[in-house]
Amino acid sequence: MIAPTRLQIIGSTPARSLLTFTAGILIATGLFLAVQGGWIYAKAALAQVLLERAFAASVISGAPEKPWSWADTWPVARIEVPRLGVSAIALKGASGQALAFGPGHLDNTSQAGEEGTAVYAAHRDTHFAFLKDIRENDRIRITRRDGRTFTFRVTSMAVARWDEAEIDPDAHGVHLVLTTCFPFDAVTSGLLRYLVYADLEETMAK
Amino acid sequence: MSATPNFSSRQKRQNFLTRFGLLLGFSNAILLPVLAVIFALLHPLESRAQPAASVTPNEMGTGSLLLQTKEDGNYIEAPRLATDVDLDVNGPTARAVLTQAFENATDKWVEALYVFPLPEDSAVYSLKMIVGNRVIVAEIKEKQAARAIYEKARREGKKASLIEQQRPNIFTNAVANIGPHEKIVVQIEYQQSVRLSDGRFSLRVPLVVAPRYTPQDTSPITQQANLKAGWGKTKQGPSRKGSDQAIPAPLMALGGDRTNPVTLKVNLNAGFPLDAVKSLYHAVKIDKVSNTGHRVALSGYAIADRDFVLEWSAVASNMPSVGLFREHVGQDDYVLAYVMPPAVATPQKAGREVVLVIDNSGSMGGTSIEQARASLDYALSRLEPNDRFNVIRFDNTMTKLFSDSVMATAENIGSARRFVIGLEAAGGTEMLPPLQAALDDSHQANGLRQVVFLTDGEVSNEQQLLDAIAKSRGRSRIFMVGIGSAPNTYLMSRAAELGRGSFTHIGSVAEVNERMRALFNKLENPAVTDVAAAFSEKNVSLSPNLLPDIYHGEPLVLAARMGKAAGTLTVSGKIGDRPWTISLPLDQASNAKGVSKIWARRQIDDAEVNLTLGKTTQADADKRILQLALDHHLVTRLTSLIAVDTKRLRPTNAPLTRADIPLQLPAGWDYNKLLRIDAIRDAKAEGKHQQTADKWQGADGDAELDPISTQAQASVALPQTATPGILLILQGLLALLCGASLLVFASRRSQA
Repeated sequence: MIAPTRLQIIGSTPARSLLTFTAGILIATGLFLAVQGGWIYAKAALAQVLLERAFAASVISGAPEKPWSWADTWPVARIEVPRLGVSAIALKGASGQALAFGPGHLDNTSQAGEEGTAVYAAHRDTHFAFLKDIRENDRIRITRRDGRTFTFRVTSMAVARWDEAEIDPDAHGVHLVLTTCFPFDAVTSGLLRYLVYADLEETMAK
Repeated sequence: MSATPNFSSRQKRQNFLTRFGLLLGFSNAILLPVLAVIFALLHPLESRAQPAASVTPNEMGTGSLLLQTKEDGNYIEAPRLATDVDLDVNGPTARAVLTQAFENATDKWVEALYVFPLPEDSAVYSLKMIVGNRVIVAEIKEKQAARAIYEKARREGKKASLIEQQRPNIFTNAVANIGPHEKIVVQIEYQQSVRLSDGRFSLRVPLVVAPRYTPQDTSPITQQANLKAGWGKTKQGPSRKGSDQAIPAPLMALGGDRTNPVTLKVNLNAGFPLDAVKSLYHAVKIDKVSNTGHRVALSGYAIADRDFVLEWSAVASNMPSVGLFREHVGQDDYVLAYVMPPAVATPQKAGREVVLVIDNSGSMGGTSIEQARASLDYALSRLEPNDRFNVIRFDNTMTKLFSDSVMATAENIGSARRFVIGLEAAGGTEMLPPLQAALDDSHQANGLRQVVFLTDGEVSNEQQLLDAIAKSRGRSRIFMVGIGSAPNTYLMSRAAELGRGSFTHIGSVAEVNERMRALFNKLENPAVTDVAAAFSEKNVSLSPNLLPDIYHGEPLVLAARMGKAAGTLTVSGKIGDRPWTISLPLDQASNAKGVSKIWARRQIDDAEVNLTLGKTTQADADKRILQLALDHHLVTRLTSLIAVDTKRLRPTNAPLTRADIPLQLPAGWDYNKLLRIDAIRDAKAEGKHQQTADKWQGADGDAELDPISTQAQASVALPQTATPGILLILQGLLALLCGASLLVFASRRSQA
């Protein structure tokens, strides 16, 4: 007896169309957000294809090659972890724009294979998601734009605040640090960074 | 009828319930997505709030003394340090003798690393180390070789001191193997130029003594003082680990006021009649020796957390005052001339053409674009009605606001301002087309043309840009304004040099007004343009290659090397429309020390410029710089000063100059006095010190020191590396779910 009465009231036309309208907006917003989120991953994956191409070209030409004409940055190195079978092309600089496309080589750090500490940063959920699987003594291979390849061995891992990471860019010896946000499965961005420290193992001229 | 009230009350209750239900539904349906959107929008803001800030050399205001030990959590206090600065100002240059006494107050062997900033054009040329009663004079060596010698000496337990250039304005002095309770005195000599701004000369001495015992990455080294068994070995821990946080080690000195003693005196010989001399931040005693010479000394000890700044000014005159100095070194004479532009009482303001170029590419996002907009707005506000101007904005596309420069009418300026306010940062950076557009000067013929270029300089084709400037600069003067915390200073300073303008760096929004005001004051008052210099003698090597305009209150400084300082130097130019020349008889130059070093330092800069211009190869430029540095005993990016005490063990490969010349200790200095510079240590620190000392008893032989970190306080700031991707997808799915269920709910209702 109660149900029909209520239905009659709720089912009035303005309320129903309002409901449908709200539902429409909700769905549109949802779609927009989901696509926007998906686009981040699509961009990260797509860009790597273009970067791979530009990197191969710049290894041959020996000059920086922009992956696309309006890019603010260009590929500087390939980072590989053979044990995990992952590879990513790193870009010059670690601006938010560069990081959307690939790992970034921090501007004020040395080149991989040179005296000092080379630091690469990338997003934890795209290019550097593999960092959580890295173990001590893993090999990290860096191929530079000049075609030279350096193999680093992971010495330790650490978690530190973004501004308190113990990285000495001018340290003696040849070092490498890969860094990404921590924790890996967090949804919001935070202050912590995960750091993988590695030291040079061998040099292989191409 | 009795049912009626019943029914109506039930209906009312019903009504209320449904309304409440609807309210809940709507609040869920509308508020949640709105919250989600707000949350999503907040994310970029949040990540922007922690930018990858990096410490630039300029930000390092004071010198720092760092210490090395290598054990986890090991604490060692920094050696005490006493500093004396003796400055000799002669005309436009100041030669400083910096004497520092390092004292190790601990029972262990330590290594001290002293990081000190100097002005970018400073030349470090001498290092002497005094150990006991011996003086060791440093040699200038190629950087790698010097470093190797130092490392070797350090491993072997010999005292050594090494001065390296880290950046053009950051030097380090490392002193190895300071024994327990030992003192080492190090004397560094450097030369710097006197600055001129707003008609005031100023000399800044970074007061080197506020040692910031940096909490980050101190990774100190210590060794056990067991000499028979070689050096004590420290326990090898991983030296760079997140967990290995060094302990902040405050050293309380002199009754806890945290100052290490600094004494400072300046022998000021300005080269012109002095108007007023004053110290900005420190109490000083000033003795007037003559019209042009003053003696300035700190009264008592300096407060070490502030730079010492001395300012003086000349009595204004109507004709340019000139200075002429020379030095004879080896076979050659070196001449330094400086010419002050005339102080024109009422500068007749001729109309200028000003082209403002703004970079609105994506890399300028955040505060950079705000700074750029504010700078540009200020620039527009400073235009005079008889000026002409244009605004060009660029990312990977470009827009010229007006097809050609227009008169600075209120209307034109208004539309330019609106244009600037509407700029958003997006897109890539293509700097060449706007640069060419800005330099395109096909429509106007003469007068002053100034291009103000605001950018962060994040480009890869620097060479192309510099080539473009060199090729088509014409009469245009290029003023680079670097925006943001880390602009490409290399590109900007080179571009400004080639464009005969200047480079201004704006690091924070707060600086915009001050810096832009200074720049535009300068731009509005060019004193002398089209400057040229000619020598009557032949075979003169002149620096700089490219003579800049002289602006009001700034001198033109020329350095030259010539066989014999004779004949005349003629400097010509134009003041407004009037030609201006001045002849300087070179044989009347007065002798001054350091002229050759100014010349060498400038030649090194010129070599870098030529390298930039592609006129020389990297190898040639390096060779030239190395030669100049070795000839003139300068610390550069390729050379370092190294002194090793050879008494204990003589290294076979390190030829050292042993000299018995007495080191001239500053007046009032003696070891006994230095000894009494007692530091009152923090009780807590002392406790830690004790603890680690205990731990040390267990250390074994075999010494291997950890390398020094030269920049311990400038740890790398890491960028934000989380994408909002998952969050966005989750929010999106949630909203979809809500929407879908609402839709289902609504359609069910309408069916029923």
